[in-house]
Amino acid sequence: MSKVSEAHVQDSPPLAAEARGPARSRWSWVMRGGPVIALAALVLYLAVGSPHFLTFGNLMNVLRQVSINAILAVGQTVVILSAGIDLSVGAILALSASIGAVAMAYWEWNVWLGMLAALVVGGLCGLVNGVVISKGRIPDFIATIGMMSVARGLALIVTDGLPVPSHLTALTLRAGLPEQLIWLGSGLVAGVPVPAIVAALAVALGWFLLRYTGLGRAVYAVGGNREAARVSGINVDRTKIAVYTFSGLMAGVAGLVLTGRLNSANALMAEGAELHSIAAVVIGGTNLFGGEGGVGGTIIGVLIMGVLNNGLNLMNVSAFWQRVIMGAIIVGVVVFDQWRRRRFGH
Amino acid sequence: MSRLLLKMEGIVKRFPGVVALKGVDFELKAGEVHALLGENGAGKSTLMKIISGALAPDEGRIYLDGQATAIASPQHAQALGISTVHQELSLIPSLSIAENIFLGRHPRRRGGVIDWEATGARAREVLRDLDLHDLDPWWPVHRLRVAEQQLVEIARVLTWNPKILLLDEPTSALSDHEVERLFALIERLRSRGVGIIYVSHRLAEVRRIAHRVTVLRDGQRIATMPMAQVTEPDLVRMMVGRDVQDRFARGAAGTGAPVLEVRELATPTGLRDVTLTVGRGEVVGLFGLIGAGRTELARALFGLDPIEKGQVLVEGRPVAIRSPGDAIRAGLAFVTEDRRQGLVYPLTVAENVTLASLQRFTQWGFLRRRREARASEEYVQRLRVRPPDPRRQVRFFSGGNQQKVVLAKWLCTGARVLILDEPTRGIDVGAKAEVYEIVRQLAAEGAGILLISSEPREVLAVCDRVAVMYRGRIVVDLPVEEATEESLMSVASGLEVPA
Repeated sequence: MSKVSEAHVQDSPPLAAEARGPARSRWSWVMRGGPVIALAALVLYLAVGSPHFLTFGNLMNVLRQVSINAILAVGQTVVILSAGIDLSVGAILALSASIGAVAMAYWEWNVWLGMLAALVVGGLCGLVNGVVISKGRIPDFIATIGMMSVARGLALIVTDGLPVPSHLTALTLRAGLPEQLIWLGSGLVAGVPVPAIVAALAVALGWFLLRYTGLGRAVYAVGGNREAARVSGINVDRTKIAVYTFSGLMAGVAGLVLTGRLNSANALMAEGAELHSIAAVVIGGTNLFGGEGGVGGTIIGVLIMGVLNNGLNLMNVSAFWQRVIMGAIIVGVVVFDQWRRRRFGH
Repeated sequence: MSRLLLKMEGIVKRFPGVVALKGVDFELKAGEVHALLGENGAGKSTLMKIISGALAPDEGRIYLDGQATAIASPQHAQALGISTVHQELSLIPSLSIAENIFLGRHPRRRGGVIDWEATGARAREVLRDLDLHDLDPWWPVHRLRVAEQQLVEIARVLTWNPKILLLDEPTSALSDHEVERLFALIERLRSRGVGIIYVSHRLAEVRRIAHRVTVLRDGQRIATMPMAQVTEPDLVRMMVGRDVQDRFARGAAGTGAPVLEVRELATPTGLRDVTLTVGRGEVVGLFGLIGAGRTELARALFGLDPIEKGQVLVEGRPVAIRSPGDAIRAGLAFVTEDRRQGLVYPLTVAENVTLASLQRFTQWGFLRRRREARASEEYVQRLRVRPPDPRRQVRFFSGGNQQKVVLAKWLCTGARVLILDEPTRGIDVGAKAEVYEIVRQLAAEGAGILLISSEPREVLAVCDRVAVMYRGRIVVDLPVEEATEESLMSVASGLEVPA
């Protein structure tokens, strides 16, 4: 008996620890962020190094390019905060985009109904993820790896493995994709790409959800200490299900935007997107084990990846080398951030 | 008996805020079983850890076979011939008995390949030595009962051929028959000249097996004497000490109507026939040794473990509790033994305070952050959490203040019944007194409190009534005035079977 109690005395932090630690303020996610420093350094470097970087057109270009990853990463952030991981977002994106495009192009569904179908499919896939994980009591990454394959497979079945709409199916093609959908992917509002606006709305939604709703609080609690959350009466299963449903829904939104931008959907679109979204979340400083972080950091992570991509293009780095550099920098940023945290506290 | 295997002089060990050992002397002879006794926090475990190399003393000298020695690490201790059987098992459940016994030092063939035949053969030998013929060395450990695992753990330690063997509560999981096996083994080891340090709360056992006994209290050695010269009551008195603590002012009102009634509760976790009542304004102590079923009772009441049979009533109404959410709605609160189950460390104090009553702090699913800020501010003031900043992450607070945040969380739910499981474990003396004060104050405000404790002094100081558990049952339930530290300890150790 005494063994336990004495071990505890030993483990408990010294009393002086009381005084340490910053108060958590509204902007602490920025202040705590090495990612912000990394992004600023990157922007500065490119601004000096390339005359084209700091032009309005190029910056809008960057925003358009990052918007898909941003939307996915918002969902991924919420999942990771709950100590989960969603490896199926790319596949869910493709499935909901495929079904939406098939509905609009081949089945002649009204554009709003088609978009709704895509969102419902995305949300449903996420719901299944959540139910399987919480009720089936299996690791998050196993369940979502399964969904990754199932959703891709279903997308191939729905599209017959062909792009939608496709010239090969011209005989059955009664309509192209509706112009509202094209606008969603390629339109401009006051010079700002519509996808970037959608991404901004997604970020705002994620931020609001995490900061101002009971669900958001439950997400942090479950991710920060599952057992304590349970003892405090929080329904852990329901929280997990909600989180994955939200992520699936975001994948559906991203699917619509990407379809509009490409003017086409196909079953193999957005391959690897899940890994990019996870990378953005982690670069943004959210703890992979849950409970700490938020969409504020994630958006920085998304921008770091986007700016980097853009800069490497501007500097004519070969696409092959771009992958190498990208990977190295992702890991580098996280290593730096971990070191900074250990050194200077949270 | 002869040679001194181990001699320790003036051992001092300090932890932040606590001096765990205040200059303790200890010695162990070859071929003796030396019992080490003491209450919770008396310093037994610290002393054991120093001997086994897990902790370094701040002051004092250690002699092994007359040589001044610094034991640098558990590995070093092992190499010096000191082996420990811990209370918590350190076996790897998915590996076989044989693999566990020889983990990291399997017999090898030439070229470094593991010699599985030799591994199996030697494991069988060791098991036979322990009279464990019925165990196949290739069974995975998770298929064994806890008692068998305990014996395998001992088997593993024996393969090191220790000169000094530390046994920490080795019988806590064993049946009577298995205890006999263990004792036979101890006797054999002893006769080979091994020195054995034996820590246990079961005084009857200790009296049977040990030749000498050392009693620690508050980090000091009270006595070392031959076992033949002391009686069990002597031991209890030495462990507990004579000084009687000041009792806290109790609710003068006495107790009101029952707020919590438990009737004939049984669980798969080992509770049998538990019947208990907590009245309004009453603090009921639940005393017992580890494994007696106290935490199991709390977990069952709180919907964390299933209930097999029995009834729970809150304020006279039967309640069905299947989850912590049900329990909270019924008006229960549960301060867990392990603070890590009570707090979400990355969240702020305010966020932790409202965690168990989020319904009250949300409307249509939206957080009412201003209300939350006000409420948390209020509790931080009321419980004197320091520093008084509800916006700070809770992980930056000291143990005592973290515990106050846990209390605040449950006060915030407006619970009518508070279950506190070892609420003062590992917090410093000042914070302890504050926790007691809060408990008494809550009772005065009409809450019913069930205080689980393994410190008799705490029970006597804070409670109105005390129930003692032993092996899943409540064996005694009496007003605290009729209990003494000695009587509590004897009942809880199974020495005294009350009529």
